Amino acid sequence: MKKIYLYKYGLAMLFLMCAIHSFAQNTFTGKVLDETKQPLVGATVRSKEGSQSTVTDVNGVFKLVNAAAGQITVTITFVGYDVTEQVLSPGINATIQLKPSSRNLNDVVVVGYGTARKSDLTGSVSNVTSKDLNPGPITNPLQQLEGKAAGVDITQSGSEPGTAPTVRIRGITSLQGGNDPLVVVDGVQGNMDLFNQVPPSEIASVDILKDASATAIYGSRGAPGVIIVTTKKSAAGKTSVEYTENSSLDVIAKKLQFLDAAQWTQEANSLGVDVSANHGSNTDWYNLLTRNGYTQNHTLAFGGGANGFNYRASLTAINQSGTVINSKFSNYIGRITATQKALDDKLTLTMNLNSGTNYYTYSPTGVGNAAFTSNLITQAYVARPTDPVYNTNGNYYVDPNVFQYSNPYAVAQTVSNNNQINNLFGSLRADLEIYKGLSVGWFGSWRKIDSNNGYYAPAASTLTSAVSYNGQAHINNAHTDEKLMDINLGYKRDFGVNHLDAVLVYEWQQQTYNGSYSAARGFINDIATYNALQLGTLANAQTGDVSSYKNDRSLISFLGRVNYSYNNRYLLTASFRRDGSTVFGANNKWGNFPSASLAWRIDQEDFMKSQRLFSNLKFRVGYGVTGNQQGLFPQNSIPLVGQNPTSPTVYFGGALISNYAPSQNANPDLKWETKKQTNIGVDFGFFGDRLTGTVDAFTSNTDNLLYNYTVPLIGQFLTNSIIANVGSLQNRGLELTLSYDVIRGKDTRLTLAGNGTLLKNKVLSLGGNIQGFDVATDYVSLGSNAYLQVGKPVGSYRILQHLGKDANNAETYVTQNVNGVPDLSDRSADRADAGQSLPKYTYAFTPSFTYKNFDASMVWRGSGGNKIYNGVRQQFSILQYIGKSNVLQSAIPLGIESAQYNSDLWLEDGDYVRWQNLSIGYRFNLTKVKYVNALRLSVTGQNLALITKYKGLDPELVGSNLSGGDYGIYPRTRTFSVGLNVIFK
Amino acid sequence: MKKILTVIFIASLAAVSCTKVDENVYDKYESNAFYATPAGADNALATVYGKISGTWGSNFAGRDNCWYDLNSFAADDQVIPHRNTGDWQLDFAQLYTQTYQPSLGLINNTWNWLYSSVYSANVAVAQLTSANAAPSKIAEAKVLRAWFYYLLIDDFGDVPFYTDNNTDASKIAQTKRATIYNFIVSELKANVDLLSETKGGAYYGRFNKWAGYMFMAKVYLNAGVYTGTPAWQEALDACNKVASGGFTLHAGGANTASPLGYSYFDLFGDVCPDDETIFALYLKENIVSGNIYGIRSLNSANGNALIGYNGWNGTIILNQFYSKFSANDIRRQQFLVGQQPKGGTTYNPVVSSLISPGAAPDDGIRDMKFFPAAPVDASGASNDFPIYRFADLLLMQAECNVRLGNPSAALPFINRVRARATLADLTTVTLDNVYDERGFELVFEGHRRQDMIRFGHYQDTREFVTAPIPKTRELFPIPVNALNANPNLKQNPGY
Repeated sequence: MKKIYLYKYGLAMLFLMCAIHSFAQNTFTGKVLDETKQPLVGATVRSKEGSQSTVTDVNGVFKLVNAAAGQITVTITFVGYDVTEQVLSPGINATIQLKPSSRNLNDVVVVGYGTARKSDLTGSVSNVTSKDLNPGPITNPLQQLEGKAAGVDITQSGSEPGTAPTVRIRGITSLQGGNDPLVVVDGVQGNMDLFNQVPPSEIASVDILKDASATAIYGSRGAPGVIIVTTKKSAAGKTSVEYTENSSLDVIAKKLQFLDAAQWTQEANSLGVDVSANHGSNTDWYNLLTRNGYTQNHTLAFGGGANGFNYRASLTAINQSGTVINSKFSNYIGRITATQKALDDKLTLTMNLNSGTNYYTYSPTGVGNAAFTSNLITQAYVARPTDPVYNTNGNYYVDPNVFQYSNPYAVAQTVSNNNQINNLFGSLRADLEIYKGLSVGWFGSWRKIDSNNGYYAPAASTLTSAVSYNGQAHINNAHTDEKLMDINLGYKRDFGVNHLDAVLVYEWQQQTYNGSYSAARGFINDIATYNALQLGTLANAQTGDVSSYKNDRSLISFLGRVNYSYNNRYLLTASFRRDGSTVFGANNKWGNFPSASLAWRIDQEDFMKSQRLFSNLKFRVGYGVTGNQQGLFPQNSIPLVGQNPTSPTVYFGGALISNYAPSQNANPDLKWETKKQTNIGVDFGFFGDRLTGTVDAFTSNTDNLLYNYTVPLIGQFLTNSIIANVGSLQNRGLELTLSYDVIRGKDTRLTLAGNGTLLKNKVLSLGGNIQGFDVATDYVSLGSNAYLQVGKPVGSYRILQHLGKDANNAETYVTQNVNGVPDLSDRSADRADAGQSLPKYTYAFTPSFTYKNFDASMVWRGSGGNKIYNGVRQQFSILQYIGKSNVLQSAIPLGIESAQYNSDLWLEDGDYVRWQNLSIGYRFNLTKVKYVNALRLSVTGQNLALITKYKGLDPELVGSNLSGGDYGIYPRTRTFSVGLNVIFK
Repeated sequence: MKKILTVIFIASLAAVSCTKVDENVYDKYESNAFYATPAGADNALATVYGKISGTWGSNFAGRDNCWYDLNSFAADDQVIPHRNTGDWQLDFAQLYTQTYQPSLGLINNTWNWLYSSVYSANVAVAQLTSANAAPSKIAEAKVLRAWFYYLLIDDFGDVPFYTDNNTDASKIAQTKRATIYNFIVSELKANVDLLSETKGGAYYGRFNKWAGYMFMAKVYLNAGVYTGTPAWQEALDACNKVASGGFTLHAGGANTASPLGYSYFDLFGDVCPDDETIFALYLKENIVSGNIYGIRSLNSANGNALIGYNGWNGTIILNQFYSKFSANDIRRQQFLVGQQPKGGTTYNPVVSSLISPGAAPDDGIRDMKFFPAAPVDASGASNDFPIYRFADLLLMQAECNVRLGNPSAALPFINRVRARATLADLTTVTLDNVYDERGFELVFEGHRRQDMIRFGHYQDTREFVTAPIPKTRELFPIPVNALNANPNLKQNPGY
């Protein structure tokens, strides 16, 4: 407290001194307040006459000294508030209240290694702030962004607790699994699992860097886009305690229609199935294996501070129980972030500590037999409705006449499949202002992830592998250690109408991975499950039961960026990054990633001053080179010898010994993928920003495409495939974002907003020269009859055409071959082109309405132009299987008894529109209540409607699955939730 | 300003000292370092044997979908019908009916398995040579390599040929079958005598001198097929070399300890007996691959009753082949037909359909030559697999003598084999007698396709196949994937 007094007295002294000086110059003072009449700290006050500027102090007070004799005009700017102009007279203390901004052009956008005002952006960046995030039962922050940004496609197949959605920014630009964006949370870089550590209600804003001029600063990790999450900080000097809660009921949105016991019996009889296959029960397996789920989300956040110190802490608990029995997820996150200023406020230290634990109980996968393996719930379709759940002796029923019969209810009740992940990260940032806009900073972060998976299947589970050995258990421990350190130098200065902002960074990061796996079989009882592997039977040990691994990767980078603007009209951003990585081959250790972009704020031009139509008009153009190294793993480029994974033991010299094998083709030329992207965009606002929008058009070419190219198994090639950089891939797209305030009143506001994206993807080439050998790669099967084919989009279907049925009711196909046996090879003429697995367009409609303290919002989103191979419908439409499986009701009119090959009969349109979200809330202002400041109640419905012709459970299953095949998903839920937010005094 | 410069200096110093981006390897061995040691060179040889046992889709025999299945199902001694319950894909039945396409997965698997084996053998030859290993070891690696090339020309005819892994793939040409035959012969002549003479023990499952000569005899026996010029005398000479190794027929008589009632089936048990076995493949369920031939044949319930695991209801022997066995032939005991004592199963000898709509679930005669030996589980058993054995040699000696116009000399050889099976002696012997006897003795051992081609019966009609099979089918097609990956390759005629 002492310091504040001193400060006040000191300030008073300053005023006094100024007064003395006022003979020569005039002093203008004032106080800046927010909408609640609280002082605003750090607002910028700039005089129009003399171009002096200052910022407000902790009390919101500012002072300007100006040679002007009379009045001056100042502009006051503060993030999130409208720019305000005020005329000041010397000697008179003005009080200026700012209004929260109606337009967010002055919002600060985090652009990676720095920030920029939204109005200064030259690249394509989507900014979503906390108020725009999707409400409801959120278990992963990505769900809050669904439908919110053009070109950012967030999809989720099924609603298994704890499974994360998939994000694709501007389409598929890589084939080797590297399409996940880089995630940056408060400076900590990571992959998608970093979202597990972000409490959904503690997000202040999310910035999505989309075009290459924005992502090139992330170099060889930037190509798939970057999602930057900024968490909430407490405002200095304010104490806050806030509780946020959401509870939902989750129900299964759609079921497939299968035969019931009576229908099955009738159909089996008419098809001549032996009566011994009918066990006379009436079991609804799907119903038995499912239930209503619930999701709960609680967060308590508090913060405060004084004397250049502030902190914010939060505790979050997310609990979800799935709609399939025995599947659940919990996530507990504790975080604290604190900022301390020192050295006359020139040094800012920010620390961040975040610890969390995720518990997953997954529904088992890989259930069934060799003919049809799937996740557990899809096996509920396999079980005949006439099969009992239990034998008369109380054991789970199995039919010995059905090959490897598994009882799905037994699997659900007896298999343990638990996963625990402990996450911890900490970071420290030190920023020091050195001299007139020059600053130096240091940032270090350390992240540790420990995951522990335990699996136990007892003999009672009826799973073949468990029955074979009287119980099967394994544990899997994995440890990840990610360190990052950067040293940066910044320079920010105005020279008249020239504004310069430059940054130089050296960055070092290293990730280490190690872990172990152990398995055991044969337990005399099921008490200890996977917790005591030593209790297994030693004689049942198999090779591969014990293993461990360790590898690491480092990335070293030098990067710099310059932002220059002239007169607020002409903006230039140029960046350059040089990356060196251990995972690159010896011949290509370092890569360069430059970018440049320009913007012209036309609305700032003098000739635009008199018009009223445009309130904002900015034209942007940018080009950049980014890289992608996600598809590369440690030791991918060097020739290695390891234990042969498929036959780890060999009998030699009269003994069993380890079998080593060269495991990988050497490729010293291995390197990052290179993505070159050009972006042209326009940001506009009409009628005083009543109608605002953005249009972006882009073309991106991924060259040096990483893929497991097929090579002949001769000469230097020891396996059939080699990871190399050969092909190239093109994406072209058009993005449109629009928002229109239909009603913009004092109390009432109705906004219609939406976005849409058109995407065109094309494989430009796949072949090339690898180590002197010309590979003519083309027609690469991705599974489900989807292909990589030069000149076509990734995942183009080439599939046999359904012709009809023969006398035995076997499906027939269009073939060139006289004996009717179709040629199934990839380049076969029997395969016909049949559309693509990737959607051609995605769109969202997000209207919102507020009236006084009442608010309502909706999200509708959809996509289309794609096909889905409905593997579930195929599997359960073939009547021949009825003796050992159930079939779909729709199989009866179809009447196909056998089908040997995949055909376009099972290829369906994947277009859909989903009513994703409806939320209604009311805010109670409780200024008179002693301890509570405000309280908001809301109700939210999710996945309220789905409009589609797709016959499967849900058409939303593309995501990371390039082949677009549906082989059974966890049910997608429809949720109804109640939310509560309390702000305490 | 000084302060600034200091900071910049420190920063750039830190940056410069941290620019090393070399790869660290902790949990694997770098190739060169690994093979440079004597243990590494030795292991390079073991790895080649590891290729023979392999595993699913990549092995000589034991597991499914590779060499054994391709060469067996294309012949007439076994088939897996499609079942009218929807079980089993058509691949196996299409091989049998010779209606398969060049894209058939088994063909591709076999090709890939053979070339990855050639690669491993090349590694072994090169590493053992540079490590100055014992000549017997280098010879063993070279014989193994020749054996893979023999399997390649036997199935595919003209194939890419190289012996040094440092050869640029674009310079490796598709080489004439006869040229590779000559390489194999010269490689064997140069190396077989260097091989160890030890039988069993440390040489169980390895190419010793006797296995080497057996291989040489097989190559000469089929010389006519490979080059157009037979080499019967050379084949007989090689056979006689093997015989000098002191092999005998394993006893075949009744034995209650054997699950099939006869000692004969010890030959296909957990360990192949040294008295008769010339070259064995060691298998141990889930440790070194596994043997599926028993469990694959049994139906679900019968498998459960006999061995405690669901049978796969796969392989059968067709009635046409089965019915040629004499009723008193002890070798007929391996087949399960009609009402079974366990599992409430009746195997119907008549198969109604192979492909569409498929056979009824219990159609077909089952084969238990490899009655599952412990350890067993749902994915297979531990029976070793006899690649070459003395009975095969005796029938080869008989064949060579008949071919050389000396049938009376052939008689004792074929009668020895028949005697063990409790069949009466023949008094005269023809090629057909030898062909049939090979069928009875070696059924389900992977020899049938080669024998059918050499005896000129591959093009014959067979049960379910009414039109003669074109001669071009005597070679498998080059797999489509190999053709796509390597533009230097030409497809075999007829595909």
